Amino acid sequence: MDDTHISLAHGNGGRYMRELIETLFAKHLVNPLLDVHTDAAALPTLDGILMVTTDGFTVQPLEFPGGTIGSLAVHGSVNDLAVSGAIPHYLTLSAFIEEGFEIARLERIVISLANAARDANVAVVAGDTKVVRRGEGGGLYLSVTGIGVRAKNLNLGLQHVQAGDAILVSGPVGDHGIAVMLAREQFGLYGELQSDAASVLPLTKALLSLEGLHFMRDPTRGGLATVMHEISHATKMQVRLNQPAIPVREQVFAVCEMLGYDPLFLACEGRVIAIIAAAQADEALSRWRKLPQGEHAAIIGSIKAGRAQVVLETELGGERILSELEDDPLPRIC
Amino acid sequence: MNIDRQLPSHESRRWLMGGRVQGVGYRAFVYNLAQRFGLCGMVQNLTGEVRVEAQGETGLLDTFAAALVSAAPPLSRPYIVSCQPIPLRELNSFEILPSAESLHAQVHIPPDNFLCDDCRREMLDPDDRRYRYPFINCTQCGPRYTLITRMPYDRPHTTMTDFALCDACRAEYEDPADRRFHAQPLACPACGPQLNFVSTHENATGDTALMSCIGALRRGEIVAVKGIGGYHLMCDALNPAAIARLRLSKHRPHKPLALMFPWCGEDGLQRVREELLLDAQSAAALTDAARPIVLIQKLTDTTLPDSIAPGLNEIGAMLPYSPLHYLLLDGFGSTLVATSGNVSGEPVLTDNTEVEMRLNNVAQAFLHHNRPIARPADDSVMRIIASRPRLLRAGRGIAPLEYDLPFSFPQPILAAGGHMKNAIALGWENRMILSPHIGDLDTPRSIGVFEQTISDLQNLYGVTAKSVVCDAHPGYASTRWAAQQLLPLQRVYHHHAHASALAFEHSLEKTWLTFIWDGVGLGMDGTLWGGEALHGSPGRWQRAATFKPFRLPGGERASREPWRSAAALCWEAGLDWHSDMRDAVLLKSAWRHGLNAPVTTSAGRLFDAAASLLGLCDTASFEGQGPMLLEAAARGSIDAIYLPLHEDANRLLIADWTPLLHALRRDEIPVAQRAMQFHLSLAQSIVEQTKRVHVSRPFDVVGLTGGVFQNKLLAEFACRELSSAGFSVHLPEQAPCNDGGLALGQLIEAQYG
Repeated sequence: MDDTHISLAHGNGGRYMRELIETLFAKHLVNPLLDVHTDAAALPTLDGILMVTTDGFTVQPLEFPGGTIGSLAVHGSVNDLAVSGAIPHYLTLSAFIEEGFEIARLERIVISLANAARDANVAVVAGDTKVVRRGEGGGLYLSVTGIGVRAKNLNLGLQHVQAGDAILVSGPVGDHGIAVMLAREQFGLYGELQSDAASVLPLTKALLSLEGLHFMRDPTRGGLATVMHEISHATKMQVRLNQPAIPVREQVFAVCEMLGYDPLFLACEGRVIAIIAAAQADEALSRWRKLPQGEHAAIIGSIKAGRAQVVLETELGGERILSELEDDPLPRIC
Repeated sequence: MNIDRQLPSHESRRWLMGGRVQGVGYRAFVYNLAQRFGLCGMVQNLTGEVRVEAQGETGLLDTFAAALVSAAPPLSRPYIVSCQPIPLRELNSFEILPSAESLHAQVHIPPDNFLCDDCRREMLDPDDRRYRYPFINCTQCGPRYTLITRMPYDRPHTTMTDFALCDACRAEYEDPADRRFHAQPLACPACGPQLNFVSTHENATGDTALMSCIGALRRGEIVAVKGIGGYHLMCDALNPAAIARLRLSKHRPHKPLALMFPWCGEDGLQRVREELLLDAQSAAALTDAARPIVLIQKLTDTTLPDSIAPGLNEIGAMLPYSPLHYLLLDGFGSTLVATSGNVSGEPVLTDNTEVEMRLNNVAQAFLHHNRPIARPADDSVMRIIASRPRLLRAGRGIAPLEYDLPFSFPQPILAAGGHMKNAIALGWENRMILSPHIGDLDTPRSIGVFEQTISDLQNLYGVTAKSVVCDAHPGYASTRWAAQQLLPLQRVYHHHAHASALAFEHSLEKTWLTFIWDGVGLGMDGTLWGGEALHGSPGRWQRAATFKPFRLPGGERASREPWRSAAALCWEAGLDWHSDMRDAVLLKSAWRHGLNAPVTTSAGRLFDAAASLLGLCDTASFEGQGPMLLEAAARGSIDAIYLPLHEDANRLLIADWTPLLHALRRDEIPVAQRAMQFHLSLAQSIVEQTKRVHVSRPFDVVGLTGGVFQNKLLAEFACRELSSAGFSVHLPEQAPCNDGGLALGQLIEAQYG
């Protein structure tokens, strides 16, 4: 039997599986709370409101400039907790591995996952592996559940958003979407472009003490524009974005221009959008800009009473309605 | 012999007059007619109709009835809805009764009318009390559609409601013999609207405002001038610096600017003749009651700067239509640029405050007036194609376009139209109307006007839509809007709607082969159609022919960047296209992987590709720039190239554009000739496709529609060749062949589908 690649035997509950878990997963994810020999983890009590999130990860390619599916799984889960105002503590991990997957590659991914967890100060406290038949999975899928706590007096949520609030973004948008796309299509021409995948915890923590903070969200699938639509739908108010103020990296802009994509609809994995009372917008901005991840943060728009739509104020003084993402955006021009 | 003395028999009759009978001086006409005939009775406005009762001698009544239609005022379009005998009564006069609202309304909304000759004479008469009054009007002229707030059409239901009539005006208004009897926008300098000129250092009213405006224009300034359906941005058409500033501040580097010529000479056209090649048809179109913008070829020795329409041979010309425009052009003494006062792509601005805010960076001054505009109406646009004036944009002076139908809608239905050049349509009973041009639905203001028009037209016509029809494209703002209505929804394919709009104009019964060539529209197979020939009739269209499909790199961006279409054709044909550029390599790679590279059969994109390959236009700053430059460049004599046709497994005829691509790349042939060859070859392909389809699937008439047929050269070649091959050909005439006419076709498809 080939011991450099995953076989069905790695998922049958026997020796191969035990060895895989012990020598690969447990080895890298080691922490005092992780016990691979029990079925459930016992966790110390946490003070505050318990917050739980769960997410699946299917990114292709599994390794891309600036991250892997492993680090992305940690960042995705940590960020969901962080933008909810929580401090993440524990993760659980479920891996679905395709038969024939290279073990060395799996290890690289698990190492990157472990490093991301360590950096975000979260512990993987439980896990599971399954092996699926060749051709029935995209190499590797991960499923992660995150647990954290949030202070009891925090008033975050779309119901707190008010007309006049400012909209901030913590950094350039679209990096992850473009980096992953370029890597997936093996264009290899804009290799210098990295995904922005990272924990946003430092960014969210920096704003939690501002009582004018009303809402935070990480713009992942569907990008900044989709978050804006969620806000507009939920609040029944108008979202106005000042297009020239929205930070977009030059390379991302260039690729988008060429391929006809709109960076506002591309995924980010390490950015935060914050909705905050106008009076505290400058303070929030300066807090973010002091952080390494927030040096390009910007105030990009505002919430306005009136018709629920997302309006882009363009450079030329015009206005454009930013439509919701279609399944398959087709040209409309006749 | 006992001779009975035959007394002439007397009787009394009641007529219900339908058609365009309100806002056009019809009651006064009936009153005067009755006086002439010596008849007693009454005339009364109902909601949308006029009731006439008269009694007298039978023969006289017959003549009177005929005259109710035949002698009617020029702007009216009356017909007799019904006629019935009523009992004779004791009457000794003919009266005009106050308007009454009727339950069953057949409302007709008149478009806005140009200044009539009588009013113009008065306006220029120093002894007249309306001498130089820019808001003079009568029952035969003045604004209507942009003024009416609700029906029936009476002064309190117009934007004139806040102007109380002075005694002199009231006397005219109430005198049935006066030509201003019940002229609802009636006004004079004492009681009516006034001009107001505003600039950084000036604020003037009345005639001084007009003089200040003329002064500013003479100094080369850009002035936003409030007209009938909205503001124009105006500047001296012979001042290249002013034009350059206008283009710069409006972010409109190349799009042609419309011109307003002063009314000069016996027929008003003298100044036009000095600059443009005016034939009888263009002259007739220019002086048409609609006073549209007409695209007319420049004279070779024209004094007009090229920057008015860079690279093009034609100028969009119009004549003054409102009294204000007459006075302004007369005072200025020369031609003015008169382009829509809007922010790019939006409907024309109508509100004094909003215009100052939004055109602040464009206009140095504003000539306002205080007669509110109820809803915007841009200038209409026409082009003479194949010997007929063809409407390219339905607007002020024309819309709402009203149609009587040979069928009845089961219930009122609203058509949401397309996404670009949107106009909406409303169908009920045996009637159908098309709204004025609204614009591209990308901006909050466009959507606002779109919704206002939908609501206004339903209110004005007293109709509530019970169902909605829209385009099949899910991304159109009009489709999204339609899907949000809590009404039954039908989705109609783009090209089916185009074909049905044309069929409606000529024949709903005949079998058609209709070429619908445009940019892109969602087709039945999920690809983007745009070079189709559909066989059949409304509700029964079958795709008969198309172009060899190609993929558009960068999706929607291809519509603004003709070079993408050029690249697409080259790559599809296995030819090189700037492989030395890193970006081109990236794009080709994405194109090969099918990333944002939708499949299309668009004829419009073929024109784009040609414009780019001939070096005329790589990036367009306005829609249609590439094809327009290509048409303008075409010259010389050269043979057409045959585009091979083959039939696929589904009997779909496919025209291969590959030989055209090779011809376009033959750099040794002059650009003008290659452009000509491109047009000729496509026209020839239309004929070849027509002949091939006809063999296996007969049809009665050939149709040409879709935005590509705004191209005069292509349309006329195709018409000529089809006619000489023995086919009968039709192009749209009353409604635009571009997406401006789409809503009409949607209604027809909904009915027949």
